[in-house]
Amino acid sequence: MLEEPYRWVEAIQNRREYLEDQLRGASPVVGLSYEDGILLLTTTPGPCKLFEVYDDLSFAAIGHPADIEKLRKAVIDIAHLEAFNFSAKDVSLQRLVSFGIGPLIKAAFDEIFRSPFIARVLMAELDPQSSHDRFCVIDADGSFRGEEHEAAVAGSENSVNAICKSLRNESTTERSLSQALDAGLQAWAAGRINLENEALTLPDKKAIEGCLQEALESQRFEAAVLDRTRSTKSKFALLAADEIDAVLAAYR
Amino acid sequence: MESCDFLSLLKEQGHLPRDPIHLPTNAADFDTTEGTTILAVRYRDGVLMAGDRRATMGNTVVYDRADKVLSIDDDAVLALAGSPAVAYEIARLLEVSFQHYRRSQLQVLSLDGKLRILSRLLRDNLPLALQGIGAVVPIFAAFDACGNAGKIFFYDILGAQFESVDFCATGSGSPIIRGALYHYNRWEEKLVNMDEAASLELVLKMLETAAEFDTATGGLKPSARIFPQIRRITAAGIDTIPEDVLESLYHSELQPRT
Repeated sequence: MLEEPYRWVEAIQNRREYLEDQLRGASPVVGLSYEDGILLLTTTPGPCKLFEVYDDLSFAAIGHPADIEKLRKAVIDIAHLEAFNFSAKDVSLQRLVSFGIGPLIKAAFDEIFRSPFIARVLMAELDPQSSHDRFCVIDADGSFRGEEHEAAVAGSENSVNAICKSLRNESTTERSLSQALDAGLQAWAAGRINLENEALTLPDKKAIEGCLQEALESQRFEAAVLDRTRSTKSKFALLAADEIDAVLAAYR
Repeated sequence: MESCDFLSLLKEQGHLPRDPIHLPTNAADFDTTEGTTILAVRYRDGVLMAGDRRATMGNTVVYDRADKVLSIDDDAVLALAGSPAVAYEIARLLEVSFQHYRRSQLQVLSLDGKLRILSRLLRDNLPLALQGIGAVVPIFAAFDACGNAGKIFFYDILGAQFESVDFCATGSGSPIIRGALYHYNRWEEKLVNMDEAASLELVLKMLETAAEFDTATGGLKPSARIFPQIRRITAAGIDTIPEDVLESLYHSELQPRT
């Protein structure tokens, strides 16, 4: 059937719709800059969703856990091969995405007899010197785009727009970690509420509180930082539960 | 299950030779760069690992600021005697392997796992070592959180691993100081009971002694600010003894008797 071009286009379209459908209900992952680096935040029913790729690079994704693991392993392999063959300074977000994970996801998406990766990925890179931190969103078809200051992956475009709009309403890189956590939680709730909405609406405080309380009943919040001030080579750290709870307390 | 072994990944992707490297039979006639002396001493709080700074090629000193004591991760230190070309590659492979394992498997590689990787690397290097160039005789030290003590391991060129109870020294200057260290530990003071200051002084004296009798070992040269490299491995982690401390110790404790 694939000898006919329109069949191939149809098959690709079907798989695009399939991926959208599979990713629709996912809990958003929020990324934002703060004074010391980058904060990532999401919820999870159990397994870890925020990961370290290299010293100043992180990986987060929504989608099927097995596909997320495959992509995470692939990008870690590439990063460490680069570090071994060249140097740690040559491991960059731009190279990992443009020549690594982007083409990998695109190849799986295009091969219609193979299963595509059911995953939408958010990678972040810390700028060690200043606050020019970078994000990159890689979609399930392998397309990618760079972002600064804030970025998100979610089950719908409307949800991503709500998260970014919520974060842009706050001051950007000047905020402390606890302020960033608070802004991240509000943005996550805005994204969650807008997952199914047709039109983008920023929720009020009461709606945010309700959304967060509902999430806390079945999920746990997970947060990680890429922190410039850490003295170790690795700048990645998962935040302890009590650090997150201190901010969440205001919404309980 | 997917492999989590970085060495296998390197070989699969063609970044390391699959087969041993065979050199011409007269390879041993070439002078290669070599480095000595390294030693590790257990003391009250952990382990001190030290190395002189000299690298030689035959009778020629090629470098007097060589780093032979390298931090591999937050818990482990590797000291290298022998061919720097191979030794630095081994250290680099270990460092990246440990990082790769920690990040991909979301847990730290066990001490036994780390020792095993080093053993495999030495065994892989056997053809070069047997051909007369590229031999490396490392010392590996780590703080064992389970046993709450510093541990020292040494290897032969085939990759056999041994644990030292009190001290260990390898490299061309090591036969000179092993006897001295044994004497001190047996009849003067148990090394594991020594405090850090006393242990540090002993390590400096041992390296100075090795340099006195072994031309391949460099001594202390404060005028050029060349001091041994000494790393401290304790429950608090790994750090380097600053040169200022070594200089002060040199002037206070290592001066000839009048």
